[in-house]
Amino acid sequence: MNRSEIIEKTNAVFEESFEIAPEQLIPTAHVFNDLGLDSLDTVDLVVALQKKFTVSIRDDARIREIRTLNDIYDFIATIISETPNS
Amino acid sequence: MKRAVISGMGVVTALGDGLDGLLEGLHAGQSAVQRMPGWEDYKGLRSLVGAPLQLKNEKAIPRRNRRSMGRMSIYAVQAAEQALADAAFDREQLSGGRVGCVIGSTMGGAQALTEAFEIMIPERDLSLLNSMKFFQCLSHTAAMNVSQYLGITGYVAATCAACVSSLQAIGLGLDLVRSGRQDAVLCGGSEELHPTVTATFDILFATSSGFNDNPRETPRPFDSRRDGLVCGEGCGLVLIEEYEHAMARGIRPWAEILGYDTNAGGTHVSQSNRDGLRICMANALRDADLKPENVDLISAHATGTLQGDAEEAGGIADLFGEDTPVSGLKGHLGHTLGASGAIELAATLGMMRDGVICATRNLHTPGKDCAGIRHVTDPLENHFQTVIKNGSAFGGINAALICRLMNH
Repeated sequence: MNRSEIIEKTNAVFEESFEIAPEQLIPTAHVFNDLGLDSLDTVDLVVALQKKFTVSIRDDARIREIRTLNDIYDFIATIISETPNS
Repeated sequence: MKRAVISGMGVVTALGDGLDGLLEGLHAGQSAVQRMPGWEDYKGLRSLVGAPLQLKNEKAIPRRNRRSMGRMSIYAVQAAEQALADAAFDREQLSGGRVGCVIGSTMGGAQALTEAFEIMIPERDLSLLNSMKFFQCLSHTAAMNVSQYLGITGYVAATCAACVSSLQAIGLGLDLVRSGRQDAVLCGGSEELHPTVTATFDILFATSSGFNDNPRETPRPFDSRRDGLVCGEGCGLVLIEEYEHAMARGIRPWAEILGYDTNAGGTHVSQSNRDGLRICMANALRDADLKPENVDLISAHATGTLQGDAEEAGGIADLFGEDTPVSGLKGHLGHTLGASGAIELAATLGMMRDGVICATRNLHTPGKDCAGIRHVTDPLENHFQTVIKNGSAFGGINAALICRLMNH
Protein backbone atom coordinates (compact mmCIF):
# COMPACT_ATOMS: atom_id res chain seq x y z
CA MET A 1 0.00 0.00 0.00
CA ASN A 2 1.51 3.33 -0.97
CA ARG A 3 1.36 6.52 1.10
CA SER A 4 -1.43 8.16 -0.89
CA GLU A 5 -3.63 5.11 -0.26
CA ILE A 6 -2.83 5.27 3.47
CA ILE A 7 -3.73 8.98 3.52
CA GLU A 8 -6.95 8.38 1.63
CA LYS A 9 -8.07 5.52 3.89
CA THR A 10 -7.08 7.31 7.10
CA ASN A 11 -8.89 10.48 6.08
CA ALA A 12 -11.96 8.36 5.24
CA VAL A 13 -11.96 7.13 8.85
CA PHE A 14 -12.08 10.72 10.11
CA GLU A 15 -14.89 11.62 7.72
CA GLU A 16 -16.97 8.49 8.36
CA SER A 17 -16.44 8.00 12.09
CA PHE A 18 -15.98 11.56 13.33
CA GLU A 19 -17.81 13.64 10.70
CA ILE A 20 -14.75 15.82 10.05
CA ALA A 21 -14.95 17.90 6.87
CA PRO A 22 -12.36 16.89 4.21
CA GLU A 23 -10.86 20.39 4.08
CA GLN A 24 -9.84 20.08 7.76
CA LEU A 25 -7.86 16.91 7.07
CA ILE A 26 -4.42 18.39 6.48
CA PRO A 27 -1.29 16.48 7.57
CA THR A 28 -0.38 18.96 10.31
CA ALA A 29 -3.85 18.91 11.87
CA HIS A 30 -3.65 18.05 15.59
CA VAL A 31 -6.02 15.19 16.34
CA PHE A 32 -7.25 16.71 19.63
CA ASN A 33 -6.73 20.47 19.28
CA ASP A 34 -7.67 20.91 15.61
CA LEU A 35 -9.98 17.97 14.86
CA GLY A 36 -11.74 17.94 18.25
CA LEU A 37 -11.33 14.30 19.25
CA ASP A 38 -11.16 13.38 22.95
CA SER A 39 -9.95 10.36 24.90
CA LEU A 40 -13.12 8.33 24.22
CA ASP A 41 -12.80 9.09 20.50
CA THR A 42 -9.28 7.71 20.46
CA VAL A 43 -10.65 4.29 21.45
CA ASP A 44 -12.97 4.44 18.46
CA LEU A 45 -10.20 5.79 16.22
CA VAL A 46 -8.08 2.73 16.98
CA VAL A 47 -11.04 0.40 16.29
CA ALA A 48 -11.81 2.18 13.01
CA LEU A 49 -8.17 2.08 11.87
CA GLN A 50 -7.97 -1.62 12.73
CA LYS A 51 -11.02 -2.29 10.58
CA LYS A 52 -9.90 -0.05 7.71
CA PHE A 53 -6.36 -1.47 7.42
CA THR A 54 -7.01 -4.96 8.85
CA VAL A 55 -4.26 -4.53 11.42
CA SER A 56 -4.00 -5.02 15.17
CA ILE A 57 -2.77 -1.86 16.90
CA ARG A 58 -4.83 -1.72 20.08
CA ASP A 59 -1.97 -2.69 22.39
CA ASP A 60 0.79 -0.90 20.47
CA ALA A 61 2.44 1.64 22.81
CA ARG A 62 3.41 3.85 19.85
CA ILE A 63 -0.21 4.98 19.58
CA ARG A 64 0.35 7.21 22.59
CA GLU A 65 2.87 9.25 20.65
CA ILE A 66 0.39 10.20 17.93
CA ARG A 67 -0.52 13.89 17.82
CA THR A 68 -1.19 14.81 14.17
CA LEU A 69 -2.69 13.21 11.10
CA ASN A 70 0.80 12.90 9.68
CA ASP A 71 1.79 10.89 12.78
CA ILE A 72 -1.03 8.48 11.97
CA TYR A 73 0.03 8.14 8.32
CA ASP A 74 3.59 7.38 9.47
CA PHE A 75 2.41 4.95 12.15
CA ILE A 76 0.17 3.01 9.75
CA ALA A 77 2.97 2.87 7.16
CA THR A 78 5.29 1.46 9.82
CA ILE A 79 2.75 -1.10 10.99
CA ILE A 80 2.13 -2.26 7.43
CA SER A 81 5.85 -2.53 6.72
CA GLU A 82 6.27 -4.65 9.86
CA THR A 83 3.46 -6.98 8.86
CA PRO A 84 4.65 -10.16 7.12
CA ASN A 85 3.65 -10.36 3.44
CA SER A 86 2.45 -6.75 3.53
CA MET B 1 -48.47 16.61 49.59
CA LYS B 2 -47.82 18.97 46.67
CA ARG B 3 -49.89 19.00 43.49
CA ALA B 4 -48.37 18.02 40.15
CA VAL B 5 -49.23 19.14 36.64
CA ILE B 6 -48.12 18.23 33.15
CA SER B 7 -46.72 21.50 31.84
CA GLY B 8 -45.24 20.24 28.57
CA MET B 9 -45.34 17.21 26.29
CA GLY B 10 -43.18 15.91 23.45
CA VAL B 11 -43.54 12.90 21.18
CA VAL B 12 -41.57 11.29 18.39
CA THR B 13 -43.80 8.82 16.57
CA ALA B 14 -44.22 7.11 13.24
CA LEU B 15 -47.37 9.07 12.43
CA GLY B 16 -45.95 12.56 12.00
CA ASP B 17 -43.85 15.38 13.40
CA GLY B 18 -44.43 16.06 17.06
CA LEU B 19 -47.76 16.05 18.83
CA ASP B 20 -49.52 17.96 16.05
CA GLY B 21 -48.40 15.40 13.46
CA LEU B 22 -49.45 12.54 15.71
CA LEU B 23 -52.91 14.02 16.32
CA GLU B 24 -53.37 14.70 12.63
CA GLY B 25 -52.52 11.08 11.84
CA LEU B 26 -54.83 9.72 14.53
CA HIS B 27 -57.78 11.83 13.44
CA ALA B 28 -57.14 10.77 9.82
CA GLY B 29 -57.22 7.13 10.93
CA GLN B 30 -53.72 6.43 9.62
CA SER B 31 -51.66 3.33 10.39
CA ALA B 32 -47.88 3.23 10.77
CA VAL B 33 -47.76 -0.55 10.43
CA GLN B 34 -45.93 -2.06 7.48
CA ARG B 35 -44.26 -5.28 6.42
CA MET B 36 -40.65 -5.18 7.61
CA PRO B 37 -38.03 -5.79 4.89
CA GLY B 38 -35.57 -8.53 5.80
CA TRP B 39 -37.48 -9.96 8.72
CA GLU B 40 -38.37 -13.05 6.69
CA ASP B 41 -34.67 -13.99 6.97
CA TYR B 42 -35.18 -14.90 10.64
CA LYS B 43 -36.11 -18.56 10.90
CA GLY B 44 -39.18 -19.05 13.03
CA LEU B 45 -40.20 -15.41 13.20
CA ARG B 46 -43.89 -15.52 12.35
CA SER B 47 -44.75 -11.84 12.67
CA LEU B 48 -43.21 -9.86 9.81
CA VAL B 49 -44.87 -6.52 10.54
CA GLY B 50 -43.81 -3.49 12.55
CA ALA B 51 -44.47 0.22 12.94
CA PRO B 52 -41.10 1.89 12.24
CA LEU B 53 -40.24 5.57 12.14
CA GLN B 54 -37.45 7.32 10.32
CA LEU B 55 -34.80 9.31 12.15
CA LYS B 56 -34.99 12.98 11.24
CA ASN B 57 -32.62 15.87 11.92
CA GLU B 58 -30.43 13.75 14.17
CA LYS B 59 -27.35 15.71 13.14
CA ALA B 60 -28.81 18.75 14.86
CA ILE B 61 -27.45 17.01 17.96
CA PRO B 62 -23.68 17.64 18.08
CA ARG B 63 -21.57 14.55 17.37
CA ARG B 64 -19.94 14.71 20.82
CA ASN B 65 -23.40 14.26 22.38
CA ARG B 66 -24.80 11.98 19.68
CA ARG B 67 -21.98 9.42 19.74
CA SER B 68 -23.39 7.76 22.88
CA MET B 69 -26.94 7.67 21.51
CA GLY B 70 -28.73 4.88 19.73
CA ARG B 71 -32.03 5.57 18.00
CA MET B 72 -34.07 5.50 21.17
CA SER B 73 -31.89 8.12 22.84
CA ILE B 74 -32.10 10.38 19.79
CA TYR B 75 -35.90 10.06 19.88
CA ALA B 76 -35.76 10.93 23.59
CA VAL B 77 -33.63 14.03 23.08
CA GLN B 78 -35.96 15.25 20.35
CA ALA B 79 -39.04 14.60 22.50
CA ALA B 80 -37.36 16.35 25.44
CA GLU B 81 -36.70 19.42 23.31
CA GLN B 82 -40.38 19.49 22.36
CA ALA B 83 -41.60 19.05 25.96
CA LEU B 84 -39.39 21.83 27.31
CA ALA B 85 -40.44 24.19 24.52
CA ASP B 86 -44.10 23.27 25.04
CA ALA B 87 -43.72 24.06 28.75
CA ALA B 88 -41.76 27.27 28.05
CA PHE B 89 -39.37 25.98 30.70
CA ASP B 90 -36.26 28.02 31.52
CA ARG B 91 -33.31 25.79 30.56
CA GLU B 92 -31.05 27.41 33.12
CA GLN B 93 -33.15 25.71 35.81
CA LEU B 94 -32.22 22.27 34.49
CA SER B 95 -28.79 22.41 36.09
CA GLY B 96 -29.90 23.61 39.51
CA GLY B 97 -30.51 20.18 41.01
CA ARG B 98 -34.28 20.70 41.31
CA VAL B 99 -35.16 19.14 37.95
CA GLY B 100 -34.97 15.40 37.30
CA CYS B 101 -35.24 12.99 34.40
CA VAL B 102 -36.83 9.52 34.50
CA ILE B 103 -37.07 7.69 31.18
CA GLY B 104 -37.79 4.00 30.84
CA SER B 105 -37.61 1.34 28.15
CA THR B 106 -38.04 -2.39 27.78
CA MET B 107 -34.41 -3.39 27.30
CA GLY B 108 -32.33 -0.34 26.43
CA GLY B 109 -30.93 -0.01 22.92
CA ALA B 110 -31.73 -3.28 21.13
CA GLN B 111 -29.78 -2.36 17.99
CA ALA B 112 -26.60 -1.48 19.88
CA LEU B 113 -26.92 -4.52 22.13
CA THR B 114 -27.18 -6.78 19.09
CA GLU B 115 -24.20 -5.10 17.42
CA ALA B 116 -22.09 -5.42 20.56
CA PHE B 117 -22.79 -9.13 20.83
CA GLU B 118 -22.24 -9.66 17.10
CA ILE B 119 -18.78 -8.11 17.44
CA MET B 120 -17.78 -9.72 20.71
CA ILE B 121 -19.19 -13.23 20.81
CA PRO B 122 -18.27 -15.08 17.57
CA GLU B 123 -14.49 -14.89 18.14
CA ARG B 124 -14.60 -14.05 21.85
CA ASP B 125 -12.82 -10.83 20.79
CA LEU B 126 -13.60 -7.29 21.88
CA SER B 127 -10.76 -5.56 20.03
CA LEU B 128 -13.21 -4.20 17.43
CA LEU B 129 -15.74 -2.96 20.00
CA ASN B 130 -15.91 0.82 20.09
CA SER B 131 -16.15 2.89 23.23
CA MET B 132 -19.72 4.05 22.73
CA LYS B 133 -21.53 0.78 22.04
CA PHE B 134 -22.43 0.04 25.64
CA PHE B 135 -23.50 3.64 26.30
CA GLN B 136 -25.98 3.13 23.45
CA CYS B 137 -27.46 -0.07 24.88
CA LEU B 138 -27.56 0.49 28.64
CA SER B 139 -30.95 0.11 30.27
CA HIS B 140 -30.80 3.78 31.27
CA THR B 141 -29.36 4.99 27.97
CA ALA B 142 -32.22 7.39 27.19
CA ALA B 143 -32.33 8.92 30.68
CA MET B 144 -28.54 9.21 30.75
CA ASN B 145 -28.26 10.78 27.30
CA VAL B 146 -31.12 13.24 27.79
CA SER B 147 -29.78 14.39 31.15
CA GLN B 148 -26.26 14.77 29.71
CA TYR B 149 -27.50 16.65 26.65
CA LEU B 150 -29.68 19.04 28.64
CA GLY B 151 -27.42 19.36 31.68
CA ILE B 152 -30.04 18.00 34.08
CA THR B 153 -28.45 17.53 37.50
CA GLY B 154 -31.34 16.37 39.70
CA TYR B 155 -32.81 12.87 40.11
CA VAL B 156 -31.96 10.78 37.01
CA ALA B 157 -33.19 7.20 36.69
CA ALA B 158 -34.66 4.62 34.34
CA THR B 159 -37.71 2.49 34.92
CA CYS B 160 -37.43 -0.86 33.14
CA ALA B 161 -40.68 -2.76 33.48
CA ALA B 162 -41.26 -3.49 29.79
CA CYS B 163 -44.57 -2.09 28.57
CA VAL B 164 -45.37 -0.05 31.68
CA SER B 165 -41.92 1.58 31.80
CA SER B 166 -43.12 5.04 30.81
CA LEU B 167 -46.16 4.99 33.09
CA GLN B 168 -43.91 3.94 35.96
CA ALA B 169 -41.53 6.75 34.99
CA ILE B 170 -44.40 9.23 35.22
CA GLY B 171 -45.45 7.65 38.52
CA LEU B 172 -41.96 8.05 39.93
CA GLY B 173 -41.82 11.63 38.68
CA LEU B 174 -45.17 12.26 40.33
CA ASP B 175 -43.86 10.96 43.65
CA LEU B 176 -40.74 13.14 43.38
CA VAL B 177 -42.82 16.26 42.73
CA ARG B 178 -45.52 15.47 45.28
CA SER B 179 -42.90 14.91 47.98
CA GLY B 180 -41.11 18.16 47.17
CA ARG B 181 -37.82 16.47 46.25
CA GLN B 182 -37.96 17.96 42.74
CA ASP B 183 -39.68 20.99 41.25
CA ALA B 184 -40.02 19.30 37.86
CA VAL B 185 -39.19 15.94 36.30
CA LEU B 186 -38.98 15.06 32.64
CA CYS B 187 -40.65 11.65 32.46
CA GLY B 188 -41.65 9.02 29.94
CA GLY B 189 -40.30 6.23 27.80
CA SER B 190 -38.44 5.55 24.59
CA GLU B 191 -38.20 2.44 22.48
CA GLU B 192 -36.69 1.22 19.23
CA LEU B 193 -38.10 -1.38 16.88
CA HIS B 194 -35.83 -4.36 16.29
CA PRO B 195 -36.46 -7.98 15.28
CA THR B 196 -34.99 -9.20 18.57
CA VAL B 197 -37.70 -7.26 20.40
CA THR B 198 -40.52 -8.61 18.24
CA ALA B 199 -39.02 -12.09 18.66
CA THR B 200 -39.46 -11.82 22.43
CA PHE B 201 -43.21 -11.75 21.91
CA ASP B 202 -43.23 -13.97 18.83
CA ILE B 203 -41.89 -17.02 20.65
CA LEU B 204 -44.74 -16.62 23.13
CA PHE B 205 -47.30 -16.54 20.28
CA ALA B 206 -48.27 -13.02 21.36
CA THR B 207 -47.54 -11.30 18.03
CA SER B 208 -49.83 -10.77 15.07
CA SER B 209 -48.89 -13.15 12.28
CA GLY B 210 -52.03 -13.40 10.18
CA PHE B 211 -51.78 -10.00 8.52
CA ASN B 212 -48.24 -10.03 7.12
CA ASP B 213 -49.65 -9.31 3.66
CA ASN B 214 -52.20 -6.77 4.95
CA PRO B 215 -50.21 -4.97 7.63
CA ARG B 216 -52.54 -2.01 8.06
CA GLU B 217 -55.28 -4.36 9.26
CA THR B 218 -53.33 -5.21 12.40
CA PRO B 219 -53.13 -4.92 15.37
CA ARG B 220 -56.84 -5.06 16.17
CA PRO B 221 -57.45 -3.95 19.77
CA PHE B 222 -60.50 -5.68 21.31
CA ASP B 223 -61.62 -6.91 17.85
CA SER B 224 -62.98 -10.42 17.25
CA ARG B 225 -60.29 -11.01 14.59
CA ARG B 226 -57.34 -9.80 16.68
CA ASP B 227 -54.37 -12.15 16.58
CA GLY B 228 -51.62 -10.41 18.54
CA LEU B 229 -49.53 -7.30 18.97
CA VAL B 230 -47.33 -5.43 16.49
CA CYS B 231 -44.18 -3.77 17.81
CA GLY B 232 -43.55 -0.10 17.10
CA GLU B 233 -41.10 2.55 18.24
CA GLY B 234 -40.88 6.13 19.37
CA CYS B 235 -40.73 8.30 22.45
CA GLY B 236 -43.16 10.14 24.65
CA LEU B 237 -42.11 12.55 27.41
CA VAL B 238 -44.03 14.82 29.73
CA LEU B 239 -42.67 17.52 31.98
CA ILE B 240 -44.24 17.03 35.39
CA GLU B 241 -44.06 20.24 37.40
CA GLU B 242 -45.10 21.22 40.88
CA TYR B 243 -48.38 23.13 40.64
CA GLU B 244 -47.30 26.35 42.33
CA HIS B 245 -44.01 26.33 40.45
CA ALA B 246 -45.91 26.17 37.16
CA MET B 247 -48.47 28.79 38.21
CA ALA B 248 -45.69 31.18 39.27
CA ARG B 249 -44.35 30.98 35.71
CA GLY B 250 -47.71 32.03 34.36
CA ILE B 251 -48.05 29.06 32.03
CA ARG B 252 -51.13 27.05 31.13
CA PRO B 253 -50.48 23.38 32.00
CA TRP B 254 -52.00 20.57 30.01
CA ALA B 255 -53.39 18.62 32.92
CA GLU B 256 -53.16 17.90 36.60
CA ILE B 257 -52.07 14.39 37.58
CA LEU B 258 -54.60 13.32 40.17
CA GLY B 259 -53.79 9.69 40.86
CA TYR B 260 -51.46 6.81 40.11
CA ASP B 261 -50.85 3.23 41.05
CA THR B 262 -48.71 0.33 39.92
CA ASN B 263 -49.13 -3.23 41.14
CA ALA B 264 -48.64 -6.85 40.09
CA GLY B 265 -51.12 -9.61 39.42
CA GLY B 266 -48.91 -12.16 41.08
CA THR B 267 -50.24 -15.08 39.07
CA HIS B 268 -48.38 -15.44 35.75
CA VAL B 269 -45.07 -14.31 34.29
CA SER B 270 -46.46 -13.22 30.91
CA GLN B 271 -50.23 -12.91 31.28
CA SER B 272 -52.15 -10.04 32.79
CA ASN B 273 -55.34 -10.68 34.76
CA ARG B 274 -58.51 -8.69 35.18
CA ASP B 275 -58.37 -8.61 38.95
CA GLY B 276 -54.86 -7.18 39.08
CA LEU B 277 -55.73 -4.46 36.60
CA ARG B 278 -59.03 -3.68 38.33
CA ILE B 279 -57.27 -3.31 41.67
CA CYS B 280 -54.64 -1.07 40.07
CA MET B 281 -57.25 1.23 38.54
CA ALA B 282 -59.22 1.26 41.82
CA ASN B 283 -56.08 2.21 43.74
CA ALA B 284 -55.39 5.04 41.29
CA LEU B 285 -58.96 6.29 41.75
CA ARG B 286 -58.50 6.19 45.52
CA ASP B 287 -55.23 8.12 45.16
CA ALA B 288 -57.12 10.70 43.09
CA ASP B 289 -60.05 10.72 45.53
CA LEU B 290 -62.39 9.98 42.63
CA LYS B 291 -65.14 7.48 41.90
CA PRO B 292 -65.41 5.52 38.63
CA GLU B 293 -68.24 7.78 37.45
CA ASN B 294 -65.90 10.79 37.67
CA VAL B 295 -63.77 9.40 34.81
CA ASP B 296 -64.80 10.51 31.30
CA LEU B 297 -62.49 8.35 29.25
CA ILE B 298 -60.38 5.20 29.56
CA SER B 299 -57.23 5.05 27.44
CA ALA B 300 -56.69 1.31 27.32
CA HIS B 301 -53.46 -0.64 27.01
CA ALA B 302 -55.22 -2.85 24.42
CA THR B 303 -52.31 -4.38 22.52
CA GLY B 304 -54.45 -6.65 20.34
CA THR B 305 -53.46 -9.91 22.05
CA LEU B 306 -56.13 -12.53 22.66
CA GLN B 307 -55.56 -12.89 26.36
CA GLY B 308 -54.48 -9.37 27.32
CA ASP B 309 -57.37 -7.52 25.70
CA ALA B 310 -59.96 -9.86 27.20
CA GLU B 311 -58.50 -9.48 30.68
CA GLU B 312 -58.32 -5.69 30.37
CA ALA B 313 -61.89 -5.48 29.10
CA GLY B 314 -62.96 -7.63 32.02
CA GLY B 315 -61.14 -5.47 34.56
CA ILE B 316 -62.61 -2.30 33.06
CA ALA B 317 -66.12 -3.81 32.99
CA ASP B 318 -65.81 -4.85 36.62
CA LEU B 319 -64.88 -1.35 37.79
CA PHE B 320 -66.44 1.06 35.29
CA GLY B 321 -69.29 -0.89 33.70
CA GLU B 322 -70.30 -0.09 30.15
CA ASP B 323 -70.85 3.68 30.19
CA THR B 324 -67.31 5.09 30.10
CA PRO B 325 -65.75 5.22 26.60
CA VAL B 326 -62.71 2.97 26.13
CA SER B 327 -60.17 4.03 23.49
CA GLY B 328 -57.07 2.23 22.17
CA LEU B 329 -54.34 3.68 19.93
CA LYS B 330 -52.18 0.67 19.05
CA GLY B 331 -54.10 0.04 15.84
CA HIS B 332 -52.52 3.27 14.59
CA LEU B 333 -49.07 3.18 16.19
CA GLY B 334 -48.40 -0.45 16.96
CA HIS B 335 -47.21 -1.27 20.45
CA THR B 336 -44.44 1.16 21.31
CA LEU B 337 -43.79 -0.96 24.42
CA GLY B 338 -41.95 1.02 27.10
CA ALA B 339 -42.89 4.27 25.38
CA SER B 340 -46.55 3.45 24.82
CA GLY B 341 -47.95 4.80 28.07
CA ALA B 342 -46.47 8.27 27.66
CA ILE B 343 -47.08 8.50 23.90
CA GLU B 344 -50.70 7.44 24.29
CA LEU B 345 -51.20 9.74 27.30
CA ALA B 346 -49.91 12.71 25.29
CA ALA B 347 -52.06 11.79 22.30
CA THR B 348 -55.14 11.32 24.47
CA LEU B 349 -54.71 14.65 26.28
CA GLY B 350 -54.29 16.28 22.86
CA MET B 351 -57.50 14.69 21.59
CA MET B 352 -59.34 15.67 24.78
CA ARG B 353 -58.22 19.26 24.29
CA ASP B 354 -59.65 19.10 20.76
CA GLY B 355 -62.87 17.50 22.02
CA VAL B 356 -62.70 14.49 19.69
CA ILE B 357 -61.40 11.00 20.49
CA CYS B 358 -60.47 8.99 17.40
CA ALA B 359 -61.97 5.59 16.77
CA THR B 360 -59.96 2.56 17.88
CA ARG B 361 -58.42 1.60 14.54
CA ASN B 362 -59.13 -1.92 13.25
CA LEU B 363 -61.84 -2.44 15.85
CA HIS B 364 -64.84 -3.39 13.73
CA THR B 365 -66.55 -6.18 15.65
CA PRO B 366 -65.65 -6.31 19.34
CA GLY B 367 -64.78 -9.80 20.50
CA LYS B 368 -67.34 -11.51 22.70
CA ASP B 369 -64.62 -11.84 25.31
CA CYS B 370 -64.18 -8.05 25.22
CA ALA B 371 -67.86 -7.23 25.77
CA GLY B 372 -69.36 -5.24 28.61
CA ILE B 373 -67.45 -2.03 27.97
CA ARG B 374 -68.13 0.97 25.72
CA HIS B 375 -65.77 0.71 22.75
CA VAL B 376 -64.96 3.80 20.66
CA THR B 377 -65.70 2.48 17.17
CA ASP B 378 -66.39 5.92 15.65
CA PRO B 379 -64.84 9.31 16.42
CA LEU B 380 -66.37 10.50 19.66
CA GLU B 381 -67.03 14.17 20.42
CA ASN B 382 -67.48 15.27 24.00
CA HIS B 383 -66.23 17.64 26.67
CA PHE B 384 -63.70 15.21 28.12
CA GLN B 385 -62.06 16.27 31.38
CA THR B 386 -60.71 13.25 33.24
CA VAL B 387 -58.89 10.24 31.77
CA ILE B 388 -57.39 7.08 33.18
CA LYS B 389 -54.44 5.65 31.23
CA ASN B 390 -53.80 1.94 31.66
CA GLY B 391 -50.74 -0.19 31.06
CA SER B 392 -49.77 -3.82 31.57
CA ALA B 393 -46.43 -5.60 31.23
CA PHE B 394 -44.59 -8.89 31.50
CA GLY B 395 -44.53 -10.05 35.07
CA GLY B 396 -48.23 -9.29 35.46
CA ILE B 397 -47.33 -5.68 36.25
CA ASN B 398 -50.00 -3.01 35.84
CA ALA B 399 -49.99 0.76 35.98
CA ALA B 400 -52.80 3.31 35.93
CA LEU B 401 -52.56 7.10 35.80
CA ILE B 402 -55.40 9.59 36.17
CA CYS B 403 -55.19 13.11 34.72
CA ARG B 404 -57.63 16.00 34.51
CA LEU B 405 -57.36 18.47 31.67
CA MET B 406 -56.62 22.07 32.74
CA ASN B 407 -57.66 25.30 31.10
CA HIS B 408 -57.98 23.93 27.61
